[in-house]
Amino acid sequence: MVIDRELDKILKKVEKPARYIGGEVNSVTKNPDEVAVRIGFAFPDTYEIGMSYLGLQILYNILNRNDEIFCERVFAPAPDMEEIMMSQGRELFTLETFTPVREMDILGFTLQYELCFTNVLNMLELGGIPLKSCDRDDSFPVIIAGGPCAYNPEPLADFIDAFLIGDGEELLEAVCMAKKSASSKQEFLETVCKMDGVYVPAFYEPRYNDDGTLKEIRKLYEGAPDRVRRAVISDIESAEFPVNNIVPFIDTVHDRSVVETFRGCTRGCRFCQAGMIYRPVRERSKETIEKLAVKQLENTGHDELSLLSLSTSDYSRFEELATELMDMCRERNVALSLPSLRLDTFSFKVLQEIQKYRKSGLTFAPEAGSQRLRDIINKNITEEDIYSAVEQAIELGWEHIKLYFMVGLPGETFEDLDGIGEIARRIMDINFRMRGRKGGRFRVTVSVSNFVPKAHTPFQWAPQDTKEMFIEKHNYLSKKLHIKGVTFNYHETETSSLEAVFARGDRKIGDLLLRAHELGCRFDGWTEHFNAELWRKAFEETDTDMAFYCNRERSYDEMLPWSIIDPLISDDFLKRENDKAAAGKVTPDCRQGCAGCGINRYAECFKGVEHAEEVPNE
Amino acid sequence: MNRYVITFSKMGTICYISHLDLMRMFRRTFKKAGIRLVYSQGFNPHPKMGFAQPLSLGYWGLREMMEFETVEEYDTEELRKTIASLMPDGIEIIDCRPLVGIRKTLAAAAAAAEYIIAIPVREPIGMAGQDVKDRYMGQNSIITLKKQKKKKEPVEVDIKPMIRSIEFTPEEETLFVTAVLDSGSVSNLSPELVIDTLLKCLQLNIDRSEIAVMRKKIIFEKNNHQK
Repeated sequence: MVIDRELDKILKKVEKPARYIGGEVNSVTKNPDEVAVRIGFAFPDTYEIGMSYLGLQILYNILNRNDEIFCERVFAPAPDMEEIMMSQGRELFTLETFTPVREMDILGFTLQYELCFTNVLNMLELGGIPLKSCDRDDSFPVIIAGGPCAYNPEPLADFIDAFLIGDGEELLEAVCMAKKSASSKQEFLETVCKMDGVYVPAFYEPRYNDDGTLKEIRKLYEGAPDRVRRAVISDIESAEFPVNNIVPFIDTVHDRSVVETFRGCTRGCRFCQAGMIYRPVRERSKETIEKLAVKQLENTGHDELSLLSLSTSDYSRFEELATELMDMCRERNVALSLPSLRLDTFSFKVLQEIQKYRKSGLTFAPEAGSQRLRDIINKNITEEDIYSAVEQAIELGWEHIKLYFMVGLPGETFEDLDGIGEIARRIMDINFRMRGRKGGRFRVTVSVSNFVPKAHTPFQWAPQDTKEMFIEKHNYLSKKLHIKGVTFNYHETETSSLEAVFARGDRKIGDLLLRAHELGCRFDGWTEHFNAELWRKAFEETDTDMAFYCNRERSYDEMLPWSIIDPLISDDFLKRENDKAAAGKVTPDCRQGCAGCGINRYAECFKGVEHAEEVPNE
Repeated sequence: MNRYVITFSKMGTICYISHLDLMRMFRRTFKKAGIRLVYSQGFNPHPKMGFAQPLSLGYWGLREMMEFETVEEYDTEELRKTIASLMPDGIEIIDCRPLVGIRKTLAAAAAAAEYIIAIPVREPIGMAGQDVKDRYMGQNSIITLKKQKKKKEPVEVDIKPMIRSIEFTPEEETLFVTAVLDSGSVSNLSPELVIDTLLKCLQLNIDRSEIAVMRKKIIFEKNNHQK
């Protein structure tokens, strides 16, 4: 690819210029004049993060298989690059052809975490595209967005023309093809809003009560649905999956081959959005997974393979799969990495094999410090599970245990925090007991994140702790975890509150976002770039009350801003789960009996799962 | 021992891929092609492959070289074809030969390199090439700060003895410099220092980002080969 002199000069000045040049092995080039629709797939963070995201590879592959579509990649330029681009008037461009994003037919953002929202606005501005959808005429690309954060689209509703909700494999291609035949933006939006999974915010107008809560959502276009049903693919076995993955030249967060084993999760943790919005469980067959893995390794030359799902060990034929993949990887001199294993005897056998020399830390995520609180959040792990696994681990030579907890969960008391300290202490004791008084180099890391209530979960009505409460709890834990050999990390409070504002924000939050953007906020998820002072100013100037969004408990009667999206699990189920949480009652894993979330009205549960017929029904 | 050396060019935007990243790209290429490399022994085995000289980020290379050692013996033309078919845009495989008659690595045998430096001068420089050369090389010494291995603080060095030859060709808007510089484990001179001192000497105020550097070839010390 030949680039102009000016760009060449820019690249000589920036850090890691390889972020901006594309041209990687397996990246796609097409003649833009020979396609009907050009789409820029935009990841609102840096190249290294975006290229580690499997969804990009899946959709890039599907779109580019279609001869009429050319999908190119766009990432957020790092601040040094951004500064030079601004000063030289260089507009944001695609990596495949260095085309300004303004010349695309569609620019699609993937929203993987709330703290990237200002980057979305920043990228539009860098692309010379008016931020608000009402200010863009037919000469600009249509701006679409998808991903988990699109499940509460309202904070970005002023800026995005259409949101894509749910599985993107079939939907995104259909939306692109609709662009081909539409003669105007209006006609395009009117067509796509009739597809399952497409939300066009301009077709709805929210109205508010005096107290700021939502009163009604008025429909402005007759043809738009009353509620937008999430798109769901019924069978992932037959869904398109990439084997010609782009191989970045530079180091990315995850630089490896990866195969998705199944989608969805049956555990029903009440805080977990992924566990709700990706239902039902749909598996890929073991044979297909293995075939895809081999092909990917052959086409990329990667020396690491990983599996992706919400809970690796829950795959129905996991033992066979792991054993066979271990054999395959050993033969090929490829490292196998299996994230989020449930630590039973078999897992230890696997870990022993794949981490022979370099044992990474063993990770547990009890999430809460007491059985009472774990019952409230429906996290099905007991302290006995942890201690017996730790004993095995120590025996096998592990020297580092990592524990993940959340603070600020509904119903939490300081006794639950004591429990966190207790678990860390007992793990240290087990080590002393087994390895003598000195205990070797053994250490425990306790990482605490702050609970952020998410839309479409049983805790969507729950108040989040205030910043002061979080800080008090962190300080309390700091003292409790002042134990030799124990490291305590906790997540910043400011960003957790901000995340909560976006996670459950309404359309009014758009003004806050816009103001924050104007003040220069971006890369809010990066500690080194997050600017709390600017955000405080943005809240003040837009008269936004953080407590209204974060710390307020919603009643069941309140109309929720994200209710325009139908996640296909029923409102009754979410309420029932929330009530059971308040009563401290657990709901068993769906594999032990149907919990009645309602997803089976729209899609078959356990599609492709071995022995699925043995799962008792409701 | 099956040792081979490939000669390749690295031109265009791919010049912004660092040599470590390029090395990883080649390693993956071998893996994709099913070419098994010999691994070093020890706790952290790594494949036996390496560049004759790393090429700085942003430089183009006309005849770069990489050596590697394979488990099986290959026909070099087959090797060349296979590797060439898997290269990204901007990397051309020029040839592939067996590496014989040398015990050390190419990196240890490299002694110098020839560079072409293109300096855009907004208006003709008004001097003949020889005049520029006289002005630059006529200095008693060419002192500049050079980073030292191990030491943190750069120290003053005279780079003149490390310039084996240098020629200047002024053209309309560009001053072309062709220079052979020490480039090996014994003595090493980065073109960056030549550029710095040259701009100072000619009192040119040109931003570094406007200057392009291309390495034409790597030169090996003949008498080193037998050692």
